[in-house]
Amino acid sequence: MSGRNCDEALTNLYQYLDREMDSANSERIRAHLDDCSGCLDIFEFEVRLKIVVRERLSEEVPPEFIDRLRAALARESVGEG
Amino acid sequence: MPADFGRMPPSSVPRNPWVVGQTHYQSVIRSGGAEDGTVYRERTTDLYRPPGMADQADFESDALQYTRQLFSAAMRMTRNPSDAEDLVQETFLKAYRAYHTYEEGTNLKAWLYRILTNTYINNYRKESRRPSEVDLGAVEDLYLYRRIGSEESAEAARTTEDRVLDRLVESDIKQAVEELPENFRIPVLLADLEGFSYKEIAEILDIPIGTVMSRLHRGRKALQRRLWEFAENRGLLPEDAEKP
Repeated sequence: MSGRNCDEALTNLYQYLDREMDSANSERIRAHLDDCSGCLDIFEFEVRLKIVVRERLSEEVPPEFIDRLRAALARESVGEG
Repeated sequence: MPADFGRMPPSSVPRNPWVVGQTHYQSVIRSGGAEDGTVYRERTTDLYRPPGMADQADFESDALQYTRQLFSAAMRMTRNPSDAEDLVQETFLKAYRAYHTYEEGTNLKAWLYRILTNTYINNYRKESRRPSEVDLGAVEDLYLYRRIGSEESAEAARTTEDRVLDRLVESDIKQAVEELPENFRIPVLLADLEGFSYKEIAEILDIPIGTVMSRLHRGRKALQRRLWEFAENRGLLPEDAEKP
């Protein structure tokens, strides 16, 4: 384990999780995570949080709204003649 | 088949001149990267349309599949269902009118989000029109993890993590996101709700990638601080957890 590698991993945590790193850099971080359970814990937590946030922000579309939307689009297309 | 529309029986769909023969096609978004097994639609109208430009008749099958996602984002932008519905409807109408200018093979989802975001900023937002760099205050990195991880043993920390992640309810997370200042909230929504890349977010919002990254980073930290407060209020943290 090396402090410098931990720093590099944590600095790039979001870029890594967002898949915004090139393959060489993300490979280096992946290798570090194989060796460092401390960083792995952190990365796992952030992934789980990201999933929880995403899942719980999703909304059901009210069925009446779908009807209204369809009707509005149909009117729009008819209006064009 | 778009999930939200697929459940409607075809007979209930009003006669619509831009869905040829009332056939609902499996939507084919060329930017979706379907390399194989893609069945391209054969349509007579294709013969009369400039190559590369989208056919308005395809709008329903192409675009409406994103209704749920756009509505979810609109809810967090406007903070109420009635405005969110109006915003999404206006977005789709604008997109429909401009669909002939949409270049096929480019990113349809990002195009729709750009319309959504611009419509929101121009017509719906109640915050200051001039975007100010709101100071979120200094929040440490890994805010939530560091506090939860202040347990004595790894097992105890893991238990607290599980409890917080399992029991933070939808309303907490929605409220925490809605409380973020708009400059930070929209990039967080685009990245964490929608999974857009930094480059896509930069294009949707017309800001540099570096700005996207810094706003995302700060927005996520502020979100974690607020989630920690919710967790604390709900008694999800051990008594001796470090106070902020």
